[in-house]
Amino acid sequence: MKKLFFVLALSLVSSFWGQEDSRTRLLLADLVLERASDQNALLSELAESGDSFVTTFVAAWRTGEVFTYSSAEGEAIVVVKASEKYFELSSWTELELSPAQIEEVEDNKNRPSRRLRRTLSNVTDTVDLASKDVGTRIDAALKLGQSQKEEYLPVLRARLEKEQNGSATEALKEAIAISLLANYADAEELQQAVVLLGNYHSIASKSKIESVRDKALEDGDESLAAAATQSIKQIERHEELLRHAGSIFRGISTGSILLIVAFGLAITFGLMGIINMAHGEFVAIGGYTCYVMNQYFGDRFGTQSDTYQMFFWCSIPLSFLVAGALGWLLEISFFRFLYKRPLESLLATWGLSMVMRQMFRLIFGAANVQVGNPESLSGNFEFWGLSMSAARIFAIGFAGFVALLTWALLTKTNLGLYIRAVMQNRNMASSLGIPVKRVNSLTFAFGCGLAAMAGAVLSQIGNVGPEMGQAYIVQSFMVVVVGGVGNLLGAGLSALGIGVVDQILQPLIGPIMGTIAVLFIIILFLQWKPGGLFPTKSRSMED
Amino acid sequence: MKLFDNKIELGGFAVAGVVLVFLLPMLNAFVPEGSFLHFSEYHIGLWGKYITWAVLAMSLNLLWGYTGLLCLCQALFFALGAYAFGMYLMLHAGVDPVYNTALPDFMDFQGYTSLPWYWAPFGSGIYAIIASMMIPGILAFIFGYLAFSSRIKGVYFSILTQALTYALSLFFFMNTATLFGKSFILFGGNNGLNNFGEIFGFGINEASTKRFIFVGSAILLLVVYLLIAWLIKTKLGMVQQAIRDSENRVRFSGYSTTHYKMLIFVGAAMIAGIAGAFYVPQVGGINANEMVPAKSLDVVVWVALGGRGTKFGPVIGAIVVSVIKSYAQVEYPNSWLIILGAIFMFVVLFMPNGLAGLPKQLAPLIDKLKKKTSASSSPATSSAS
Repeated sequence: MKKLFFVLALSLVSSFWGQEDSRTRLLLADLVLERASDQNALLSELAESGDSFVTTFVAAWRTGEVFTYSSAEGEAIVVVKASEKYFELSSWTELELSPAQIEEVEDNKNRPSRRLRRTLSNVTDTVDLASKDVGTRIDAALKLGQSQKEEYLPVLRARLEKEQNGSATEALKEAIAISLLANYADAEELQQAVVLLGNYHSIASKSKIESVRDKALEDGDESLAAAATQSIKQIERHEELLRHAGSIFRGISTGSILLIVAFGLAITFGLMGIINMAHGEFVAIGGYTCYVMNQYFGDRFGTQSDTYQMFFWCSIPLSFLVAGALGWLLEISFFRFLYKRPLESLLATWGLSMVMRQMFRLIFGAANVQVGNPESLSGNFEFWGLSMSAARIFAIGFAGFVALLTWALLTKTNLGLYIRAVMQNRNMASSLGIPVKRVNSLTFAFGCGLAAMAGAVLSQIGNVGPEMGQAYIVQSFMVVVVGGVGNLLGAGLSALGIGVVDQILQPLIGPIMGTIAVLFIIILFLQWKPGGLFPTKSRSMED
Repeated sequence: MKLFDNKIELGGFAVAGVVLVFLLPMLNAFVPEGSFLHFSEYHIGLWGKYITWAVLAMSLNLLWGYTGLLCLCQALFFALGAYAFGMYLMLHAGVDPVYNTALPDFMDFQGYTSLPWYWAPFGSGIYAIIASMMIPGILAFIFGYLAFSSRIKGVYFSILTQALTYALSLFFFMNTATLFGKSFILFGGNNGLNNFGEIFGFGINEASTKRFIFVGSAILLLVVYLLIAWLIKTKLGMVQQAIRDSENRVRFSGYSTTHYKMLIFVGAAMIAGIAGAFYVPQVGGINANEMVPAKSLDVVVWVALGGRGTKFGPVIGAIVVSVIKSYAQVEYPNSWLIILGAIFMFVVLFMPNGLAGLPKQLAPLIDKLKKKTSASSSPATSSAS
């Protein structure tokens, strides 16, 4: 396993080799060929280089993938074996070797001596401290601090002297303080470290401070115990804050998906007077489009290729088109007969929903299917200790984009003008020459397309399955009702509100009770504002 | 007051009553098995189930067909009634051989040694039956008060009732609930309540008990039918139908529509609840799947298919759909949902009055056909014209 990882890492390194500093390689080559007495200077220089290649190389050296070999000119060179190929270390050129030569090379396996191995592990541990990448430096510092090994303390302090970057300096100070918790020189230093960690809200050190506190209580050192308690409180408060921020973030991202689903509903329900119980199934169409594209790209280009990564970006517009086309077809053949008969439409579309769900089961199987993540959506971002998944960040951004798109469509285009006219008074719009039938079909298709795009985004966060739309449909209807029917701003606000309240309640009373509580809050909210946030203004008695 | 519109309805009612209450149970009890006329035990259970569903459909019809309230929580009321009576049955399931306690299995499993206070009273059968009506009734009262006093109606009412169903079904899917740091055992979660032993001292799996419950359900059906037939002829029923046709006019005439609607809503919930209480011993269990929003939509479809706003339409609808479902589930396991869905779509588009309205809908067509045939059969008149 380790070997495999090494091969992978090295082949990656080798492909980017041209841009890297060749000095590290020369140093390493020297290190392999040098007498033991001269190696110390080289080691410290390697540690300073901050080049992560050192770590990879040392790992290879230990596992016996490094050889010394006399070249044709009689010069001693270092050969590294990577992905079953042989490279000359200092120039990183591949060697064309005959089978006999390979045998000769393999005979000259070079391994670091035991004494060197011990020193090398210090080098590989600390080499990242000098890395060019700030993030790597910070991670390395915290990792060293966390290990609380005494020998790293001088290394960390030395690095602190040189460090220019602000956040890396902070990280180093934190790491030193964590290390000091175990390696303090005197009581005062320990107390300072505890206080400092409290000020830094260092979550990583919480358990260590707790053990310091426990020991202080045992020893009767009250001032230290008080300081530790204070620091723990500070850290806990910070953790609490992060938890809340995390819930709000997840809430906004859940709300964003709700928003896209609800926009489609707000249009079909609010503007056209149709309760589309099959709206959730259009969400599933989006999810399945993603799944099909994922399979297709995987088969066609292979999952390792760069083209494969494009599948998601292709499936978003495609899902819009597929669901839009289906919505258009259904509108001209079916929904057309249900306008302004919401209760009947509820029934008929429930039948449609059943048919569609069963179709999904027949085509894709009853179980949920797995959709891969493109690399750009699979990571996590971290801001001030708050970890946010890229897929969720994307969902938020995409919802904003959809909201903007819908708004622009409704207010800036002729079609939008027609849609609003038809919505306000179907007959009058018709008599003014607006092609009501076509406007209806297009509006409906657009609503279905929105649902499918939400489904495509969902495929990156949750499961894709025949029932996936059902999970969202009740909540989406609530969003529309709370927002005020036919009001997109209201739908947007209520979607985000419902998402955030849901996520805030979940850690307090559990996910299911949270959802239940949200539904009851909504029912109570409607007591206060029966028409939703932005009720439709009308002089008609029946509205 | 005449309960029946005409002699046909009276006749139909009488025949249904005789068949359900006397004929079928007797065919089950006295005709030997294997005989052509034997009504098997399996069918007793099956049709007993259909009958309780028919009562459920009638209760929804009272709301939707006569008051114009499309309620999407009727199956929830039904399931709550079923749970209430199921709790009684559960507490009389006998001592369990594995845990050696009389507690329901899921409580043993969770480490409970005594009944929680909200379970204890359900040991009494009378209490359970009253609760099977009162629990849905109280829930309907609270919800109806909230909904009707803020004048939530039409589609909004439907969506809110659906949300209520959704919320409570999630609740019943849980094994335990934690509130204010205290954990409560609920009602069996996913598995629900099952493995019953006896009902009022009789073995629940005995043929005579099953027959008896079947007769009970049939009587319930007939009583509810009469009740609705009577209700819609009273002043209350008249106001109720007036609300359906134009709520504002009723309100401006000085009636408190809120009170009328609440009364109907609570009454319908109680009927659904008692139907649920008859349902649970016949199917031998109840779980949270029976209260998901889709179940309530199914009930709406029964009523729509049978014909809403008619007295017997919902009964026909519930039975026809259930029979089709039972048949198609076996014959076409992969496509029966598609068949069912297609039927819904067809009914809404082409049969707005359901099966009960079919004769009226077809009348002009039949007239035309008659004219045509009479025209073609007498060439003399056609040549004259």
